[in-house]
This record gives sequence, structure tokens and C-alpha cells, in this order.
Amino acid sequence: MSNSFDDDNLFAEFCDDYFAECEEHLTIVRRGLLALDNFVNQPQVASSLLEELFRSFHSLKGMSGMIGVKEAEQVAHEMESYLRALREQQVILSQAGVDALIAGTKMLEQILAMRQSKQPAPDIESVIKQIAAVVVATGAGTSAAVNSSAHLTLKPAQIAQLNAAVQSAKQVWLFEFTPVSTLAERGVNVNKIRDRLQQNGELIHAAPRILTTGGIIFDFVVASDASESIFASWENDGITYTPFELNSPAETENSALSPNTVPLLQEEGSPTLGGLGLPRQNSLPSAAPTTSNVVRVDLAKLDDLMRMVGELVISRARLEDNLKKIETLVPVTELRALRETNLTLGRQLRDLRQGVMRVRLVPISEIFARMQFVVRDIAKESHKKVTLELSGQETEIDKFLVERMMDPLLHLVRNAVSHGLESEDERVRNGKSPQAKLVLRAATAGEMVVIEIEDDGRGVDIECITAKARQLGLIAADATLDINKALEIICSPGFSTREQADLTSGRGVGMAVVKNTVLELGGLLTLDSQPGEGTRFTIQLPLTLAIADALIVKAGGQTFAVPLAVVREVMEIQSLKVTALENNEIISYRGNVLPLLRLTRLFQLPVCSNSSMAVLVVGTGSSAVGIAVDRILNQREIVVRSLTDPFVQVPGISGATELGDGRVVLIIDASALFQLSQLLIFSTPHHPNATNNGNGAKKQPQASTFFC
Amino acid sequence: MKQILVVDDSATMRHMVMASLHDLTDVDFHEASSELEAIEHLALAAIDLMILDLNMPDMHGLEVLKFVRGHHNYQNIPIIVLTTRGDESSRGATLEAGASCYLTKPFEPGEIAHRADSLLKSFAG
Repeated sequence: MSNSFDDDNLFAEFCDDYFAECEEHLTIVRRGLLALDNFVNQPQVASSLLEELFRSFHSLKGMSGMIGVKEAEQVAHEMESYLRALREQQVILSQAGVDALIAGTKMLEQILAMRQSKQPAPDIESVIKQIAAVVVATGAGTSAAVNSSAHLTLKPAQIAQLNAAVQSAKQVWLFEFTPVSTLAERGVNVNKIRDRLQQNGELIHAAPRILTTGGIIFDFVVASDASESIFASWENDGITYTPFELNSPAETENSALSPNTVPLLQEEGSPTLGGLGLPRQNSLPSAAPTTSNVVRVDLAKLDDLMRMVGELVISRARLEDNLKKIETLVPVTELRALRETNLTLGRQLRDLRQGVMRVRLVPISEIFARMQFVVRDIAKESHKKVTLELSGQETEIDKFLVERMMDPLLHLVRNAVSHGLESEDERVRNGKSPQAKLVLRAATAGEMVVIEIEDDGRGVDIECITAKARQLGLIAADATLDINKALEIICSPGFSTREQADLTSGRGVGMAVVKNTVLELGGLLTLDSQPGEGTRFTIQLPLTLAIADALIVKAGGQTFAVPLAVVREVMEIQSLKVTALENNEIISYRGNVLPLLRLTRLFQLPVCSNSSMAVLVVGTGSSAVGIAVDRILNQREIVVRSLTDPFVQVPGISGATELGDGRVVLIIDASALFQLSQLLIFSTPHHPNATNNGNGAKKQPQASTFFC
Repeated sequence: MKQILVVDDSATMRHMVMASLHDLTDVDFHEASSELEAIEHLALAAIDLMILDLNMPDMHGLEVLKFVRGHHNYQNIPIIVLTTRGDESSRGATLEAGASCYLTKPFEPGEIAHRADSLLKSFAG
């Protein structure tokens, strides 16, 4: 086993599971700690929140102890102690307490990471002291066990919750579920039922009850605005339901504290939620208990699966080509049947491909949750008040992209807080609210995921960048910059307007890495900025990298594939309409000017003089360019094979794919072409061949900035 | 074939418990990740031994214990309660509520196997 570090330990084989489950708990913890921020100095913390955190630390502690990660066990133990003190209301949640919990969580992350890479554990002494300092030693021996009856007397709280639900026009139902082996075999068990009810309403009470016959049934009291017809269909699953009234028999039986009826769950039903005016989203989804429905799969296996789907896509393309060949030989009726089968196959293959792709997708909230920590830390260090707004957290993104995008996004967020946002004084001086705002947005747009990082800070200082770029010799002494060009400059390796690097950002390598990563992933990085009003970085990424829809185009006798996701528009243009401007060509496009980029010229292919050509518009707004090709052959799914050998890597080509007839065609990297166009348009226009040879171009200082 | 029910919300922990009991012969494991599920297993299968994580956060472990002991069909099932360091104070309450024995995590695999074995034998006898 790859992660076993202690062969004497019987549990060494569980290491991988241990790390994976720890990661799940830490995700819950991170989310929980942020919600905890709202309760600082409040008399009481929402109990569902505390319970969830407690449960996670408890599991972390228990597992770490068994696996032998003593440091993690100790840290989790201290944190659990503090949570216990909070739960029993011996202490009030303080800012120092939240800080200590966050420090502890970071320490846990660190311990686990070190353990995973088989390095010695970090020193936990200071964190232990930090947490211990906020735990007020009680010595009262109020073991939680003594309070056990508290849960039985919580009934009034549930009634309060119930009344609140009734007031919000919800219907309250009593569901009874009788467990039966035949149901269990079908997978219908009490956990499923509980989840199902929770999805359809607010679970107020859940407990087992012993019938006089000795049998066991489960009672669930649920407030729901769902239609009754939904429940009716559940009767096959052993669920019966009746409208629930406060004085119904089951209820009185419960409130009589019968020893046979023990309410087991008060998760959602904490009365403190409403009392403190806590927004609904702060009551956390109970992710932990339902993890049993989640299967962990090695990413490599999914890659294999995707590869196999890719082969299938190629085979089907081959089938289609062969079908075309026999068109004239087969009677029409038979041909139609064949065609229909082929089309069905194509559609099913597409579904399969999307299904496999969906398996790889994870919500972007995984990244965003970490950003919250980062923002909080840097804001504190730099004494700025920052509110972080998140939207589109449910947006899904390929797991691989999540891992690759973590560092670039961290960098952008750090940059935004430490450089983009002004200090409180400066904001006030400029008539802005002292509270700075940082927004992280994510959304799916077609086959792309769009991530935006927006701040309301001072904006990008183009003057300053221009001056620095001149000084470094990146641009000519008399050149001026627009926002796109400024982005290029910021992203060149070694560029930093800071005189001195500080701890969090400013070493000047970060933006180059950001840009590189985004380009490598086939994405696009753009920048919008208004001086004094703010900055917005937009990252567009393809949903998945392995299979894409593409236009198959012909240029200079060669066939190329252009990923459809980046093409905004396709036009037919008369050659006469092209205007030559110095060394560039432009066309008029929707009342604007569109620079034209001929593939034949870029790749030094023979030019055929057609009266018209096809133009693919890529990029947006003022940064759009038109890629001119001879003609468009068709649109099809392609399987992307990247060119990994550095000797065959060419700027402008992102990989190769196989067409149905076995021909290999090159895939155009539209975003790299876009960069090339910037080079042609903005730099000295006297070396038209500079872009033909990537290696040659890289030797020139100004060219290196465009592949940064 | 003896039926052992392992109750813990952590799948990894359940697997560790089952690994510890690996040497017991003629046993079949049932797993439950929640308290309600544990009781469902009791109702559906003839459980001979329950290993229950006390899981102090929600008091669920203790409530399950009380529920099981309150039911005449199940009141004699041996129950090993597991808990972690720091919960020692609950020991008395747990034993009072009817736990057959009480182990603190991290436990020795040998110890839990020994306890389980002897509890299974005494229950049968």
C-alpha cells in the first residue's frame, strides 16, 4: 500500500481511506468554521453547527488515534474540548476561539500532508497551547453523559420549530416507516428514508418506537410544502403518513418521555437558529452521515474510462465514413435503417460521454471554501476589512481542473486582497466604503466554466505597468498599453511592480504561472479594470479536456480541428472585403474592425486564391480576432491527444486527433493563436515569420512575453 | 454464524473494527452508519453482538444503548461501547445504561477481539 508508514500497524492498509475520510471531514470543518464566524460573542452557537463540527473532530480524533497519527489525534482532541465547552455553554465563542480553531484546522491539514508525504510531523506545541488557552478549564465534570436527559426534554424546542413551520404555511406530517428485509434488500433502509424526507421538507423529529408486538417502527415528523401526491407513491417503500397534530397519539406518547421512545435526532431543529436570526444557509447540510452513498474512485480509472469512450467516438466516426462510402451500393430502405442506427449510436455515445464527464465533476465550492480562509488571513495581516461574496458555488468543474486551478486562483485572490484592495484609510479618503469587497463567481456557459475574481479596489494602474515595462525593456519606449496588453505584461515572468516582495504576494512569478496554467488547460484569462473602481479577472476553462466538439477546417491543403467552445461565430467573407493595413489584415465585423489571422500564413502553407474564405471569430470584445481558413468541412467530436514531446510542440497547436478515416489532424489552440495575433498586431511588425518557428521566437525577449 | 453489528459514522473506523475482529471465526458483519440504521439492523437481523461508537456529539450512542436495553427482545444483546480519549467521564453513564464493556480509541486490536469473543461465548451460553 502506497501510504503505509507503519508496517507493524494492523491498520496501515487503511491509510488511503483514512486520508480520504479526513479530507471529507476537513471540508465540512472548513465550511463550519466560516459559519461559526457569525456567532462570535453571541450567547449561544447554533447547535446543529456545533454538533457537526464536533462530530467531524471526533471522527478525526478517533481515526487518527487508530492509525497512529498522534499529533492529529492530539490537535483534534483539543479542538473537540473547546467545542464541548461551547456546547455546554461554559464559554462564549470568542474571536480568539475561532482563530484557535482555524489554526488547529490548518495544523491538521499540515500534519496530514506531512504524513502523506512521509515527512516528520510539524511541531504542534504552539497550536495546542493556543487552543488550550481558549478552553476554560471547567473542572465541573459536566460530562456530556450527565446531560443525556436534556435531549428528551428538548421536546418544547421541537414544538416551537413545528409551530414556526405551520406559521410559514407548511403542512406537518407524521411518517411511519416499518423496516422489512425485502425492502432492505431493495436498498430501502431507514437512512434512505430519512434522506428522502429531509429532501422534501424539514425534519423535526426522528426516532424509533417499539410496538406492543415487539416490532420496531420509525417515526418521522416532517414539515413540508411538498404535495401529498409525492408521499402517496412512497407507500410501496413501507412508508405511511398522516397529517400530524400536536395532540396526536404519537406525540403524547413521545412527550410522556416513555423510555421506549427516545428522540434521537435534533439536527435541523435547533430553536436557537431562529432566535439568532441565522440565515438559512448557515445551517449546514448534514454531509457527514450520508457519505455512505459516495464511492471514491481513483482518478486514473476515470481517465481510462474517458480514453475508452474516446476510442468509441473514433470508431463511430469511422462507421459514419464507411456508411457514406456504401451509400450508392445499398438500397435506400436498408440505408435508412443503417443511418438511423448510426444516429442513435451517436446520441447514446454522447450521453455516455457526458455521463463519464459528470462523474469527474466536483462542485467548485471545494476551491471557494479554501479561498475564504485565505481572504480572512490576508485581510487580517494587512489590516483590511474585506467581505467575500461567493456565487455559483454549485458550479461543477472537472476534478483535474480543480487541482490545477487551486494555485492560480489562490494567487489571484491573494493579489486582489494584498494589492488590489486599498487600506481602510485610503478607501475612506477616496469616498469609498471602508469595507472592501471581493467577489468570487462561477458559472457554466455551454461547454465552458467561467470563474471571475472581482474586487472593488484601486484598479490596475496602467501607467505604472507601462513605466515598469519600459524600464524592463518589455515594450518600446514610446509604446502605450491597453488593458489586454497590460495583462500580457503583468503575466510575463519576472514582472512585478512591487519594489519588494512581501510574504503573501509580489514575487512576480505568480501571474505568469496563472496565465500558463489557464492556457495549458485550454482556457482564456481576461482582465477588466476601471481605475479607482476595481479589477476583474475572468478565467474561462473548458469543462473537460479529453473530448471536445470541433470544427474540421481546411487551410492550404491541410486539415485542422478547431475546438468549438472557443469559436464565437463563423462567417463567410469575400476576399475583396479584406483590408491590408501595414503588415496586418483586417475586416469589418459588426461595425468594428476585426484583425484577421490566416492559418496558411501562420503555418507557411501554400496559399490558394479563393474568392471567399471562412472566418472563425475567437475572443471577445476588442480582443476578438478572426481566424481565416479556406473552408469548413464539418463539425464533429474529437478526442484530444496532447503533444507532450517538447520537440513537436508548436505554438498554436494544442494537440492532435484522429478522424474517422484514420487520418491524424492537428488541433488548433485558439487561445495561443489569439496570443500570436496580439504579437502581430502590437509588436514591431517587421518579422512576419517570427511566429512560424516557436523556438526561434522564444529567443527574442519581446516574444517570450506572449507565451508567458 | 454469529452476527456482529458495527455502528460508527466513519466508514474507515468500521473497517478498522472489522479488521480487528478478523480472527474470529464464523462471524458475519453488519454495518450501520447512523443510529436509526443500527436499530433497523437490530429489527431485521438476529444480532449477536453490537459494537457501538458512543459518538458523544449527539449522544446518539447512549440513546441507542438505552433504546436497545428498553426493548425486551434486545435487552440481553452484548454491546461493546467505543469512545475516544476525553470521554472517560461518560464511562459510568455508559455502563449504567447497559454497556457490556467499554473501550477507548485507540484500542488494541487484540483486546477488542478478545472481548468480542468472550461476550459472544457468554451470550450463547
